[in-house]
Amino acid sequence: MIEIENFTKVYKLSKKQRLELKTRNHIRKAVDGVSLLIPKGEIFGLLGPNGAGKTTTLRCISTLLKPTQGSIRVCGHDTIKHPEKVRKKIGFLTNEIRMDPDFSAKYMFEFFGHLHGLNDEVIGERRKKLFSYFEIEEFQNKKIEQLSTGMKQKISIAVSLVHDPEVIIFDEPTNGLDIVTARSVTNYLQLLKEEGKLVLISTHIMSEAERLCDRVAIIVNGKKVIDGSLEYIMDTTGTRNLEDAFFNLYLQYTERGKV
Amino acid sequence: MNGTKYVIQKELDRVFKDKKLVFSLFLLPAVLMIGIYLLMGKLINIMVTDVQEHVPTIYVQNMPDGFNSYVEQLNFPGSVIYFYGENVLTRTDEGEKIISTEEIKENIRSGRIDLLVVFEEDFLNQVENYEEGSIIPEIRTYYNPAEDYSEEARNKFMELVINKYKTYLLAKRIGDLNQIMVFDVDRDPAASYVMDETRANAKTLSMMLPYLVIMLLFTGPMNLGIDAITGEKERGTLASMLITPMQRGQLVLGKLLALSILSCLSAVVYSVSIIVGLPDVQKVSAVGNGTVRIEPVQMVWLFIVMVVLVYLYVTIVGLIAVLSKSSKEAGSYISPVYIIVILSGIMTMFAGDFTVDIGMFGIPVYGSAIAIQKITTNELTLAQFGVNVISTVCISAILTIFIIKAFNSEKVMFNV
Repeated sequence: MIEIENFTKVYKLSKKQRLELKTRNHIRKAVDGVSLLIPKGEIFGLLGPNGAGKTTTLRCISTLLKPTQGSIRVCGHDTIKHPEKVRKKIGFLTNEIRMDPDFSAKYMFEFFGHLHGLNDEVIGERRKKLFSYFEIEEFQNKKIEQLSTGMKQKISIAVSLVHDPEVIIFDEPTNGLDIVTARSVTNYLQLLKEEGKLVLISTHIMSEAERLCDRVAIIVNGKKVIDGSLEYIMDTTGTRNLEDAFFNLYLQYTERGKV
Repeated sequence: MNGTKYVIQKELDRVFKDKKLVFSLFLLPAVLMIGIYLLMGKLINIMVTDVQEHVPTIYVQNMPDGFNSYVEQLNFPGSVIYFYGENVLTRTDEGEKIISTEEIKENIRSGRIDLLVVFEEDFLNQVENYEEGSIIPEIRTYYNPAEDYSEEARNKFMELVINKYKTYLLAKRIGDLNQIMVFDVDRDPAASYVMDETRANAKTLSMMLPYLVIMLLFTGPMNLGIDAITGEKERGTLASMLITPMQRGQLVLGKLLALSILSCLSAVVYSVSIIVGLPDVQKVSAVGNGTVRIEPVQMVWLFIVMVVLVYLYVTIVGLIAVLSKSSKEAGSYISPVYIIVILSGIMTMFAGDFTVDIGMFGIPVYGSAIAIQKITTNELTLAQFGVNVISTVCISAILTIFIIKAFNSEKVMFNV
């Protein structure tokens, strides 16, 4: 389970950043008072426009960043007090995190397996399973720098799952993938959910969120404007699909100045 | 510490699985260094031999009677042309030609003639008819001190001809020279040498080795450190390790120890290159018989001093690398540090033989340079060694702690 309570993330702005953003404020609230409860066995979507605070939220859950206020607990462990315990439980994937291009997929998989404390036998089994599913076997010994964007993304996904984590956090999981591979990734996320894992994704593709997610939260300008099941959101906004619901809320909350 | 082990393994694999990197980091520098030192040695040898073997061209104006016969008897190795007056018939590339004294001086300036010796007119008469209180005659020499041939010609002519001619004339005037010599000094000059053979033989080495070692040990961390930390930050590959259960301290130690191992290997390559290539250079400037012996204990201390110095360099480069936002920025900060390192080594070249205060061995980098200098003459004491090693280790430990703190800082790692 992921428990986020009144989570706020504030950044101090440098002089250069204030000039770029054309603001006199010395701080910027990337995330403001977000609370969420995400149980196991669910695919939860975090939706929002660019700069809404989704990636910041995911980074704080994964312990890369620390909340300024509030708390985040993953499987009962606080991200500030016990970050190593949190990292043991999660698999995290985001565009800014890349695999070392000088090594092969097989090498990186084994390397991260060892860093997660797995022995060679377990790593071998996990590699067979994941490389087979994501069709990585044919290029597993090639250097990552020689591979296409899609191949690199598949390798990143496989490596992030090397230790069979309880919580999977993916930021734009199908980014750069062809339609067939994207479907295999989303199918795998469904499998993980059926295994009782918690899957938290962030995506811009509303159709993907609609097809995949059990519940979603929409974040606009750092604030959570709504969270719940898709039916609940569409009923609340009086819309027929998630994309319309999203735009309805976006316009509502930016026009009326509620955020 | 398992995380540290796997990070070290990965960093070493990054280098040794890349043939191009192995070639450019280890093989090419060794080949270049050996080549450069061998070439330097050869060129210095050629230059020195060339000057010594050059047959000088010397013009002598207004020579006294019998002077040419005297020079022949001495078998002076040179071409000596005698003339009277202002002009002389001489052979040039264009054939025979009459040249003036001014033209001779012009040729000395341009390096075509090496020396002009001018006796005063009536020189011998003045010498033979000297009376107490009268002005003695002068011999003027004209040469170009900026030209090696000209300077060598003058020195040789003075030593082998003029000084002996003076002694000859003096003997003619006085008879028994011992009446004015009174006493001799050092009839056997070689017997006067009371030197420590080790110090004498190591003179060149003790001047050059600290500078070379101090400078070369820095090149490994400088070449590898920026990419290992700042480069990985830029590429996003460092963040992938930050979301594993491995503690940040383990990651930092893994990076720093791997860099130290690679830098030490690089240093070994450079050291072997120096040992192979330097003797040719040292032969020319050796004071003793050229053989350098370092005692086994001092060799062990040299190894330890170098290893801890490498780790200090790695932590300095590591701290700069982690605090920098880009590889370019890191490079611009490391350049002045490199200059300071080179200066520390150069300062030992001019330190001379003065006694070094034990506190100086505690100064980072410079202390290691003077420790290495003392090792070449087997003079480093246990106390001096201890001060240097402990100081270097403590500073490295403090820098390591700062690097770990930086790895824990989201502002440093993610530029937020």
